[in-house]
Amino acid sequence: MRGDARDWRPVLRGRGLTFAHPRAEEAAVRDVSLSVTPGQLLAVVGPNGAGKTTLLRLLTGSLSPQQGEVRLDDRPLDELDDRERARALAVVPQSESSPFPVTVREMVGMGRYAHLGPWERTGAHDRAVVERALERCAVAELADRQLGELSGGERQRARIARALAQEAPILLLDEPTSGLDLRYRMELFHLLRELRGEGLAVLVITHDLNLAARFADRLLLLDRGRATARGAPESVLSREALEAVYEWPLRLVAHPGPGTDTGAPQTIPLRRDDR
Amino acid sequence: MTATPRRLVLLAVVVLVASAFSVSFGASGLGPGDLWRALSADGDPTARSILLQLRLPRAALAALVGGALGLSGCTFQALLRNPLAEPYVLGVSGGAAVGAVAVVVSGIGVILPWTLPVGAFLGAVAAMALVLGVARRASPGRMDTRVLILSGVIIGAFFNAMILLMLSIADVESFRSAIFWMMGNLSGADWGSTALLAVLLVPAGAAVLSLARAFNLLSRGEEVAHYLGASVQRVKLTAYLAASLMVAAAVAAAGVIGFVGLIVPHAVRLAWGNDHRMLLPASFLAGTAFLLVADTVARLVVAPAELPTGVVTAVAGVPFFVALLMRGGRR
Repeated sequence: MRGDARDWRPVLRGRGLTFAHPRAEEAAVRDVSLSVTPGQLLAVVGPNGAGKTTLLRLLTGSLSPQQGEVRLDDRPLDELDDRERARALAVVPQSESSPFPVTVREMVGMGRYAHLGPWERTGAHDRAVVERALERCAVAELADRQLGELSGGERQRARIARALAQEAPILLLDEPTSGLDLRYRMELFHLLRELRGEGLAVLVITHDLNLAARFADRLLLLDRGRATARGAPESVLSREALEAVYEWPLRLVAHPGPGTDTGAPQTIPLRRDDR
Repeated sequence: MTATPRRLVLLAVVVLVASAFSVSFGASGLGPGDLWRALSADGDPTARSILLQLRLPRAALAALVGGALGLSGCTFQALLRNPLAEPYVLGVSGGAAVGAVAVVVSGIGVILPWTLPVGAFLGAVAAMALVLGVARRASPGRMDTRVLILSGVIIGAFFNAMILLMLSIADVESFRSAIFWMMGNLSGADWGSTALLAVLLVPAGAAVLSLARAFNLLSRGEEVAHYLGASVQRVKLTAYLAASLMVAAAVAAAGVIGFVGLIVPHAVRLAWGNDHRMLLPASFLAGTAFLLVADTVARLVVAPAELPTGVVTAVAGVPFFVALLMRGGRR
């Protein structure tokens, strides 16, 4: 069963997703379609309030779309029970807090919930998965520390480790690099790239257009709830499109290299009046 | 993980010692030796009856009430994600008190003593249904725990007003016994009330214990718990119903014994952390041991009279907890 689960590579598809928050005048997400495909890293970009987080909540069953449908392969997502869904989709939400302190290992261990029955004890396999997740996110040395004692970046990595402990074939992250310094931001995108290489389907919401341009296979640009551009980074990241969406003057330059990213479009915002 | 069974065994030993302590001492002055001899075939019938009809049911009831309060307090803290939550926070005790005071003040309790726990239990269940109904109407489709806590506190306040209203028209004797009931005491213990509590406690306790992992998830927030695979709405509803039933049964049997449900889970948290797989059973056992000792003290200090057990739990519990809190701060 577990061997099969690891080879399972479903596609997560949203079709015509529309959602308006109660009492809101305009829809937060309007007629957005997308697929999160195995072996691909999809970055969702767009300004604040464009509907990125709402889109993620629709894709993960946390919100139900008023129009459109989310499917996991051929099954509607809402047909899956909660544990089944959590074995397919792992999510790192933007932030979380708890009134009761826990250790890093306890928190990462929560990723095993969907694999365990209510009276089932944590087994050797579960512990191995947790240790591996701790190591991959470079928090193994912090495993016995209280989560609250860690820096923001360390805490973020522990949350990503918890998602990895879910062993889900699809991973969705909401602004995972916020609060991370240069090195850990790079490490994180390397990790996402690595997971993609292992056949995971990865969706990441990010404000970092430059890293998205370098690491993502595809970009989806959201503006006021609509998908205004999609495709390879070079095609999505144009000066016209970005200036219109962000309402700010900017220039695109080619990544100077050296290395793999040479030539990738890098966004440089100008000063307000330097058009 | 292996620390958990060791800790629970340790607490179980403490419970056994506390039970022995509770059974061995009482107003009649019969010590452990007398009671042991009374159990033999040619033992003293009076000593035997004191043991079997007074001390044992009382110890059993103290154990079950303490366990129920510790377990339900811990559950409400997890459900509401609030360290200040305790068994009575959602108005269950207020409902029970309205039922009990109504029985006392109306005079029915004097004629038919068994109506007192029944009235308290019905009042508690009514409060539980009312609070849940309001919370579900106010947040359709999902039980918003912030709405739940608000409706619990408001409905509890209404019940308190009802109690004051009834007390203000009560005669002196009813007034006294109503107040005594509300302070919480185990003097009405018999095998009947103990058995009733046990019958409710087993399924409700098992339901809560089966949610231990889900409570760990819930402490990270409902959205996170959902992503990790918890059926959040079902977990919350089960936790609310099971914990409220436990409280209703405990209050019906022993009145409103304060503080156990607040400080016992926190004492365990401070000592051993917040993993609910350990915390829930440990809160049950620690509540059991704590109330056994507190009730024994309540029976002994002013013997042959008795203090209300609820007074002892607060008077002894607060300094103990403050000491624990300060020790935690130094560490």
